[in-house]
Order: sequence, then C-alpha cells, then structure tokens
Amino acid sequence: MKFSGFGYLIKEGIKNIWSNRMMSLASVGVLISCLLLTGAAGLLSLNVTNAVDSIGGNNVTRVFLEQEITDLEAVYIEDELAKLQNVTETAFISKDDAIKEYQESLREDIFEQLLGEGNPLPNAIDVTMADLALYDQTISQIMEVDGVESTRDTREVAEKLTSLNDLVTMLSFIIVVALILISVFIISNTIRMTMYSRRFEISIMKSVGATDTFVRIPFVVEGMTIGLISGTLTSVLLFLLYDIIMKAVQNIVEFDFVPYLQVGWWVTLAFILAGVLIGALGSVVSIGRYLKKEGNELLGW
Amino acid sequence: MIEFRNVSKVYPTGTHALNKASLTIDKGEFVFIVGSSGAGKSTFLKLIMREEIPTSGTIIVNGMQLDKLRHRQVPMLRRTMGIVFQDFRLIDKMTVYDNVAFAMRAIGASTKAIKKRVPYILELVGLEAKAQSYPSELSGGEQQRVGLARALVNNPKMIIADEPTGNIDPEMSFEIMELLSEINKRGTTILIVTHEHELVESFGRRVITIDKGVVVSDTVNVPAVAQS
Repeated sequence: MKFSGFGYLIKEGIKNIWSNRMMSLASVGVLISCLLLTGAAGLLSLNVTNAVDSIGGNNVTRVFLEQEITDLEAVYIEDELAKLQNVTETAFISKDDAIKEYQESLREDIFEQLLGEGNPLPNAIDVTMADLALYDQTISQIMEVDGVESTRDTREVAEKLTSLNDLVTMLSFIIVVALILISVFIISNTIRMTMYSRRFEISIMKSVGATDTFVRIPFVVEGMTIGLISGTLTSVLLFLLYDIIMKAVQNIVEFDFVPYLQVGWWVTLAFILAGVLIGALGSVVSIGRYLKKEGNELLGW
Repeated sequence: MIEFRNVSKVYPTGTHALNKASLTIDKGEFVFIVGSSGAGKSTFLKLIMREEIPTSGTIIVNGMQLDKLRHRQVPMLRRTMGIVFQDFRLIDKMTVYDNVAFAMRAIGASTKAIKKRVPYILELVGLEAKAQSYPSELSGGEQQRVGLARALVNNPKMIIADEPTGNIDPEMSFEIMELLSEINKRGTTILIVTHEHELVESFGRRVITIDKGVVVSDTVNVPAVAQS
C-alpha cells in the first residue's frame, strides 16, 4: 500500500466534519455531555475515596486505660498496642493532658479542682489504624491487652464511610460504562450519516479499485477528530466546573477537595484518549456494513 | 482478457439472469454486447466487475479467475478496468479536473503523478479548456467525456461502457463512439453494453447478442456505410 495519498484522505475526513457540521456539532455536544458526566463521576469517586482515606487517617480511636494504671505502666501498654498489625501510630495522653482538653469548656474554679489528685479521667492512648475495614478485629485485639478499660467507639462512622465509598465507586463505574456505550452509538450514527451522504463517492472509489482501507480512512479520521475535539473541550469545561463546584461546596461545609491540578493532566489525557478511541470505534462499527455493499446496492438504486 | 465458461447466475429471488453463457473477448478487441432490457446485460457487467459472483461456471478477467479472487484482491481487479456509466456518475461539487483526479487519489496516486496525468487525459478527450468547470455547466456529451477521462486516467487494460450514449443526443453519441475507437486504436480493449441497435450497426464491429440469459449470436457487423 502506498502512503502518498494519506494526506489527501486525512483532509477529506476533516472536510467531512465541516460539510456535515450540524451532525458533527450534535455529536460533539452529546459526546461532551457523556464525557463530562463520566469525568464528574470519576472525580466524585476520587474525592469520596480521598475523604474516607483522610478521615481514616485522622480517625484516632482513644483507648482508655484502667484507673490504677500509672504513667510508667502506660508506656508498656503503648508498646503492646503499637505491635498490633493494623496500628500505625500511638500517642500517650496522660490524664493531665486529657483534662486540659476540657479547660475551655469548664469554669475556672471547677477546672482547678480537677487538676492533679482530683482528676477523674484515666490515662489514655490514641491509636491510629491503617485500614478501617479491620476496625472490629483491631478493637477486640486492643481490648485483650492488659490494663485496657474501654475504647471510644467510632465504628459506625467508619462503616458508613467505607460502604459509601464502595457505593460511589460502583455507581461511577456503571455510569462510565453506560456513557461510553452511548458515545460509541452516537458517533457511529454520525459517521453513518456522513457515509450515507458520501455513498456516491464511495461507490465511485470502489468502482475504480480503492481498497477498503482507503475508503475507510476519511471516516475514521472524522470520528477520531470529533472525539479529539470533544475530549479537549471536556477537559477545559471540567476544569472550570470543578472550580465552581469546589467553591460552592466549601461555602457550605468544610471539605478537602483533591486539587484539580493534581489529577488534571491525567484527566485531560484520559478524556482525549477516550474521545479518540470512542471516535475510532464508532466509525469502524458503521463502516463495516457499508463496505460489504457493491455498486447500485451501495447507492440504494 | 475476458473468458466466460458455462456461466450461470441465479439471483436469490429466483431470476435466471444468465444461463450457461460462454464467450471469449481478446486483448485489444472492440466489442458490443447487445440485448433488450432484462436480457442479462447488467448481470454480465456485474460479474465482470465482480459485484456479483456466478452461481456456476468460471470467469477469467485480465488473468484473474474471479471465483478464486479474495475480497482483498477485488480492488486489484478493478484497477485493470475503467468503467463508464450511462448516467456519467460525476461528483457535482467537484470540478472536471477533480473528478478525474479523484479516481487517481482513490487508489493512492501521488500528487505529482496526478498533476502530470490528469491534464494529459483531459487533452485526450478534448476537455482541457473545461478543467475548472463543474459538471452542471457541461453538456451531456461533455459530461460523458469526463466520465471517459476518469475511466482512462488509471491506465486500465480495458474500458467497460454501460450504455455510454444512453443519456446524450445522437450527434454527441457519435463523437463519444469515435473517441472510444480512438482509444481502442491505442491498444485498450473496449466493451460496450447497449440496446441501441442503430449505433451498433453503424460501426463495423464484433457484436455479441444476449437474450434471456443466453448468448444467441456472435457476429462481426458490416458497417452500415459500407453496405450502402
């Protein structure tokens, strides 16, 4: 196969987009909508995962020790706790440190009575876990350590966050797959329209002995270009929208968003790649049937 | 060049378009295929171009046995022939030049080759002055000459013309036939499918008559002019 005619075929593909501009515009629009929703689903999932991780990271379970445990004994207990597999960090909170946490919320005179001998709080150790899914197991291991009285239960929060994360991830995945299928369908429909309007040229190409590849190239170029345009525009749009949504949400609640620039290049790359692949796939799907037809059958005469 | 051996074609609808047809057309010949509509002429053409496959029998065109040809090889077969259509089949939004160049681009010719070859072919059919005109600005005869230029541009071994004069007035028809004779003199095989008996009779050429899917006669006509 000669490559000399390729430039011409690529130009033809791009010309197709223009001569079929209403349909091209419509498919770029639909493709942008699909990619945007896909991106939103992906970023939501990313943010929820990130939030769960960061809450998990901050999720310190306070382990209360028995009243009679001294500071020295507490050091040994802390060592025991640190040895547990799911525990990443431990911090000793003496009863004096603990009471100081209440300083602001208590009256001066009452607070002073509670210092020193009058302190009702036990010594405690803050434990940070690596994996919240292993929460129950880790808590029961902690309870088995001598000198541990009780733990502050944060299990419910942990469970809810983990199941929310799973749900969001699963939903995002379903949305992404559904939207990609819709996009392929839309592109293949657009290409079919172009092929219909170019069936005359196709029949002449075939009658003078053009190979299937040669007939196919302009349409694949058309599909890929529509995908490329959509992918690029979606990246820009998503960047702007993310900023707006981030600010709106942060006005209502304190929420640590994953900064867009941290993932932006990957998102852009993914969109462009997805756009081009969807475009190519969409065109190949619709060309196959057309190439089998011959002569007048192709023209519908 | 073209050889049909006991070729039959039955369409899925049950129509027997060709019935054990056998014929041979040699390199450099100028042949008319005549017959009334529905006689099997179109099927004959479709089989040569391999738009259709025979139900039985063997077809050899330009050294290729068509029933053994793979789908991938069909374009190579078609590059050995130039097709001229009754309705010209020119692309309206392309100039005369581009219509002819399109046939070269479709098979991957280089821009350089196109620039050299297209003006030469346009001159051959006498349309060098109309290169930048659009088909709608031309007469029927001129449009058919563009069609002929497009068929010739890839230098095929033979020209197959399907009712080439069907849509143009008689004077112009004669001009087109003269042009085809001229091309034939340069060594290109010419195959003309038609039902216009007067046209055929005015040329002293081989005439193959098909009726109801059977070759009923194969004769060399004495030109009408010579008879009188």
